[in-house]
Amino acid sequence: MKLKLPHMHRTMTVHLIAVFLGLAAGAVFMISTGNNPFAGYAYLFKGALMNYERIGNTLATATPLIFTGLSVAFAFNTGLFNIGASGQLLAGGLCATAVGLTVVLPKPLLLLLMLLAAIVGGGLWGFIPGFLKALFNVHEVVATIMMNWIAYWVVNYTVPAYFKGEFLETESRKIPDIASLRVPWLTELLDGSYLNLGFFIAIFVSLVIWVILKKTVLGYELKAAGFNRHAAEYAGMKVNRNIVLSMTIAGALAGIGGLSLYAGYAVNIQIGILPNQGFDGIAVSLLGANSPIGVLFTALFFGILHSGKGFMNAMTEIPPEIGETIIAILIYFAATKILIERFLDKMNTRFVNRISVQTGEVIEKGGN
Amino acid sequence: MKKALIVLFALALVFGGLVSCKKKAAEAPEVTVEKLKVGMVTDAGTIDDKSFNQGTWEGILRASAEGTVSEKYLKPTGTTEADYVKEIGNLYDAGYKFIVTPGFKFETAIFAAQTKYPDARFVLIDGIPHPGDWNAVVGDNTVSIFFAEHESGFLAGVATALQLGEGEAGFIGGMEIPPVQKFNWGFQQGLAYANDNLDTNVLIKAENIIYQGTFSEVAAGQQLGAGMFDKGVDVIFCAAGGVGLGAINEAKARAKKNEDVWIVGVDVDQYAHGIYEGDKSIILTSAMKYIDVAAYDMIQAEIEGNFPGGQILTMDSTNAGVGIPPGNPNLDSSVENKVADVFNLVKSGSIVVSAEQGNLVK
Repeated sequence: MKLKLPHMHRTMTVHLIAVFLGLAAGAVFMISTGNNPFAGYAYLFKGALMNYERIGNTLATATPLIFTGLSVAFAFNTGLFNIGASGQLLAGGLCATAVGLTVVLPKPLLLLLMLLAAIVGGGLWGFIPGFLKALFNVHEVVATIMMNWIAYWVVNYTVPAYFKGEFLETESRKIPDIASLRVPWLTELLDGSYLNLGFFIAIFVSLVIWVILKKTVLGYELKAAGFNRHAAEYAGMKVNRNIVLSMTIAGALAGIGGLSLYAGYAVNIQIGILPNQGFDGIAVSLLGANSPIGVLFTALFFGILHSGKGFMNAMTEIPPEIGETIIAILIYFAATKILIERFLDKMNTRFVNRISVQTGEVIEKGGN
Repeated sequence: MKKALIVLFALALVFGGLVSCKKKAAEAPEVTVEKLKVGMVTDAGTIDDKSFNQGTWEGILRASAEGTVSEKYLKPTGTTEADYVKEIGNLYDAGYKFIVTPGFKFETAIFAAQTKYPDARFVLIDGIPHPGDWNAVVGDNTVSIFFAEHESGFLAGVATALQLGEGEAGFIGGMEIPPVQKFNWGFQQGLAYANDNLDTNVLIKAENIIYQGTFSEVAAGQQLGAGMFDKGVDVIFCAAGGVGLGAINEAKARAKKNEDVWIVGVDVDQYAHGIYEGDKSIILTSAMKYIDVAAYDMIQAEIEGNFPGGQILTMDSTNAGVGIPPGNPNLDSSVENKVADVFNLVKSGSIVVSAEQGNLVK
């Protein structure tokens, strides 16, 4: 434990610095457009948190990001770069929607079945790139990007053909209340916000993933494959199987995100859109240090940014495009956290050197 | 460590300085006139999309230029009902209680918003509020505005046939949704009308009527355009947003090589967009929807105190809501005059353009 604490402390520091630099860079943008950054950020946070409804909406916005963040993070832990969270989310969302629109069951059973469908759909979308990687060494970045577009067009075909709302042109039929993750008591509790059961599933799943990665043999093997594939192989681990498994689980996670997005946050699935949440998931995972708990908090932070942006735009003269830019800058700083790490290392070495020099003197003196 | 401190100090100085400057500026006395606060939520796409968002925004800006309105637009993070309603809530909480939303995608969001914010006004362009099952309810605080795209397409079709005299036309649509379909059907009727009554011979083959399926894939539009031009099509009517821009690019490239190809634009006057050399453009004419006029008119109505809440309005030839642009450098003046005659016939009801598919292609 003593060894671990400073490490965690350091990771936290790095990420907080990344967030701070991102916010500072955003402030520079606000100033350059003639706005007061303090007011800007005040409205940003107010917009996300100033009443129960807004808090609920912030959590609801964060929910799919938790899942896609977990998806990317899980694959990262096995040394795989999952850019396909968007497609997996779509596939999971489509399967869940299909079940929700066709199957008649009591609500708890129906939701459980939809959850399963989302896991199967997303899992399949992760399994295929994993399988191709394991068997033919097809790079997962390429494979997952292609899978994104396959999902996009499958949705584009399937939804109008089988689930079209009669007068909704680019959406499926509306999901009935019985098949929605929204529940009346929660909606009423938070003054009509979009917060739904998906958020609680997300917290639960985050913990499960944390346990898998930290406390199980499977998690250990997956991470071992990530650290050094050949060493893991030499140690007798079934690396290929683990690659497939890791991608499948990553896909399933994003798939549940699809359930939470299309049957919780939204009320139907839309065609013609490759959801941003998949790509935001990469940033969430990076900024969250690829750890489930880090992802959870980072997704909430992103939820605040996305949710509060509109109110900031409405209350100040900061144009919406600048709002987007600020978020992009934050993501950028999250991605360059390696630079911050190096900088900290450098400072640290200097500091340690100085101390050791000093203590060295002490020792010398003591020796004398 | 020292360096870091210096940097931090410098940053603090800069920030502090700028902030205090800002404060001074804010202290300047502000002339407060009671302005109508008009908000807009954009559909998927940007404010300068050469189409819906831009048209609506230009209408609002026109009102703003007259000094009666302060305006603001917000760009939703996603395109779900929740995203739209959230931005409407942001506008409302910031005091923008006259809210204009362009596009049918806002139908369910406005349905939710019109009861959630009863003291706000909503203008829904190209859509009607309903909860997702077409039990449409236009609240007392909402106006739905539709356009007679078929009439606009019809007039563009007549203009195209008259200018070309003889040739072959094509159609590229975005998603296969009513506004786009109505453009297509109107265009086909316009060609047929000119062929029957105005001594032209411009035909359109079924294989050259294609819905690409999105409004965004520029490259696909370019390919479709190239395919049609290669098959001998002389003019393509594009009602396809970004996909249409791809076809315009293809036509521009061909026009530079002295090929005789044309595009008929959509929604707004796209002439400037088709310029490939000097002031020569491949845009023959455009099938317009005067979205800006609709937005402007509603704002004026609100200011004058007669907002037509609860109504469904249709912008068509009778209220100059559709038509081809006032100036068409690529049309002969005789053609423009003839189209003006036909416009009047449509306006008076002598010519009825069908908004249904009937026996037309796709």
